[in-house]
Order: sequence, then structure tokens, then C-alpha cells
Amino acid sequence: MDDVISGAGSILMGSLAKTNSVREPASAPRVSSEASDSDERLLIAVGNHQDRAAFNALFSRFSNKIYAMGMKLTRNEQLSHDLVQEAMLTVWQKAPLYDLDRGTAQSWIFTLTRNRCFDILRKMKRQPATVSADDIWPQEGDIDSQLVHEETGTMEVEVSKIESFYGQLPAAQRAVVEQIYIHDRTHEEAAAVLAIPLGTLKSRLRLGVGKLRQMVGTEV
Amino acid sequence: MNIDAKYHPTPEQLEGFAQGSLAPGMNVVISAHVELCSTCRKSISELEEAASEEWLRSAPATRASSINFSAMIDRIVDHPQMKGDDITRNNVPKIHMLDHSVTLPRALAKVASDGLVWNQLAGGINQAMVTLDDQTQCEFLYMKPGSQVPVHKHQGNEVTLVLDGSFEDELGHYKPADFVVRTAKDLHQPASEEGCLCFAVLDSPLTFTKGLARLLNPFIRYRFRRATSAAAY
Repeated sequence: MDDVISGAGSILMGSLAKTNSVREPASAPRVSSEASDSDERLLIAVGNHQDRAAFNALFSRFSNKIYAMGMKLTRNEQLSHDLVQEAMLTVWQKAPLYDLDRGTAQSWIFTLTRNRCFDILRKMKRQPATVSADDIWPQEGDIDSQLVHEETGTMEVEVSKIESFYGQLPAAQRAVVEQIYIHDRTHEEAAAVLAIPLGTLKSRLRLGVGKLRQMVGTEV
Repeated sequence: MNIDAKYHPTPEQLEGFAQGSLAPGMNVVISAHVELCSTCRKSISELEEAASEEWLRSAPATRASSINFSAMIDRIVDHPQMKGDDITRNNVPKIHMLDHSVTLPRALAKVASDGLVWNQLAGGINQAMVTLDDQTQCEFLYMKPGSQVPVHKHQGNEVTLVLDGSFEDELGHYKPADFVVRTAKDLHQPASEEGCLCFAVLDSPLTFTKGLARLLNPFIRYRFRRATSAAAY
């Protein structure tokens, strides 16, 4: 691998010199792997003419970082390895779509990596496959249009229904539920209003609410 | 699509979205807002640049020595590259929901494309829950004209994105693309005069605080557990 890295610069120079489509003075110094302004040219070379040397250079610059992101998020060597492969494959496949309007190459590669990572994590956590990264961050733009198939669901709990259940409670329990839930009184206030002992109020409330929940529960 | 939104995600939410550190449900609702809001789209590009710099600066330059990267490169470059015309700038689908025809942001159109089951809740609210992960409860909400959600508070955070129509609460009036964030300490009572379709994401169940609606609380918690455990199997 290291020989690929150190060789990339000179191989790349050769390939850049051969082509006219790279708008770049021949005398421009070949930038070191740290210089981020070279990433855009490398990416454009990969996109314009499948420049393998340029791809090698991008690979050597980014694969460690992609692997590190994978380890940080998945703590799994195999998944991190898969992430390097999938992210760099996407870089290769989508390089022709890159242009400077999309921001820096490093930001573009970061977003591709983030997106592949999202999909890998989703699979790892067995989350539903409803949305993929490309739906969420769609600047790569390749979603099929979809139509919604609507279903009418069964009715769920409604307040009006609770009100009808509430009417079915024995009068003593209903009076307690009314004080607490409709008039928003405290237990003490409600006991005073109804002129019943606090303990009686609490047991009626427990019974009444229990019955309501039972009635609602059978409907859910 | 650009609508002048008045309410936006918090800076932390936008940053988390750019970094990819949020739960899928939260990503979906922010994605939908960002698609509608050019201000936030610009912020996201900047935050992605910043995140990429941070990534390159902080990630350690180590990797498993067992991996044969040359072989990997060889396999990768065997694949064909995409061309510009491989990308279909597809139309944003217009979908029919209840009695409305609505153009949804892409992420939400995808979410809705699995089919929605609408349930009627208290106060003229229709709800269609969708399961996107095991940390959030996500739902389309349709408030009928003149409807009112019982006063409630949240144990966690709730974000609501307005898609069509409008609703109001004690703090404001919210129109399409508005992104309304409510935290645990907020107690609010949304209402809609003209009717409103929203997408809401909750990171824990809500609690009704008034009247008979309080009796619904155990069931809401039950539904939340059901929604989130459906994702965890």
C-alpha cells in the first residue's frame, strides 16, 4: 500500500500532463497529500477519465479516515472495512457527477461516507429499511417517485368514547372521576366537595379509573 | 421548493444532521425542512464543510493491517462509473392524504410510500404512525379545521414540521416549512383553524395534563412502546 501512496504523485503527474481537459498549468507544483486543494483535481481526474492513479491518491488520503469513522461509530472492524469499500466505491462511481459547485472534495467525500455509514448502522441495528441515507441527504439525487397507498385504520381511543364509557360508571365512581379529571381538583378538595372520607375517594377513584381503562383497553 | 420558513431547527439539530449523528426519525424531519428551506440548506453545506475538516483533523491515521487495500482498489475500479444522465431528476411526488393533495419533501414521500394507516384521536386529530428507528416516535398528524389537541407536555423533545395548512399555539402561528421545537418544559395546546398536515417526531411519549384526556396517558405510553419496540425486533 505504501508504495502505491508514494508512487501516486509521479504517476498522477504523468497522467495530468497527457490530458488537455485538466485546466491546470503544467508548471503547477504537484501538491503533497496534505494539501486539500489537490483533492478537487484528483476527483475531477477520476471523474473525467477514470484516472486510476488519481483514485489511488484519493484512496490513500481518505481510506484511513473512513476506517476511523467506521470504528468510531460501529466499533467493528469488519463493518469499518465494509465502509471503506462502500464509501470509496461510491467515490469512484459518482466522481463524474462531482463539480466544484458541490463544495470541496473533502466535504463531498465526507458526505458520501456519512451516508454509507448511516446505511451500515441502520442494518447493524436492524432498523426498518424505510428510508436510506440517499432519501435523507438526497443531493446525490436518485430516488424513485412513490405513490402513497392509503388505508383506513380502525378507530382508536377517542375522548368522546371515554366520555361514553364514563357515563357507564356507577354514580359514586363517576362523581369522583368527574371531580378529579374534569374539575381538576386535588384528592383532598374532591373529598371535601363530595363530603366523603379521603380513603373512600381514593378507592372509588381507583375502581372507576380501572374500569375506564378496562373499557378503553378492550377497544384498542 | 423554497418557502420562507419562520421557524427552523436548532443549531445543534442542524449540526447533528450534517454530521449524521441523529436518529433516523430526526434525520427525516430535518431533511424535509432543509429541502423546503434555502437558509438551512446553506447552513448544512457550511456545516458539512466544517464536519469534514473536523473529521480529517481528528480521525487517527491507523487501520487494520490485515486489510488488503490494493485488492480493494482493484475491485472498485472494475465497476462502471455513473454518468450525468444516469441521474434522473425525478419529480417530487404529489400524494393524496386524507382529503388533501400534498407535495411532500422527498424523505417524507419515501416514508409515506410504505402506506399509511390513519387513526382518529381526541379533538379532531388524525394520526398515522410510522416506525423509523427505536429512539423516536414518528407520525403524520392531520388536524381537521377547528381541531384542538388537548393540553399536553412532553417528557422529551417534540419537533413538528408543517406540511400543509397551519396551526397555532400559545407561542406562534405555524405555516408550511415551519419547524416547531418543543422541549420537556413546554406545556402547549396546538389548535388549527384552517386544518393542518404535519409530520411530528417525538423522542419520548407525550403526557396530557388536563381533563379526561389524562386517562389516555397509559395508552399513549403503551403505543409509544409498541411503536419503538416494533423497530427493535
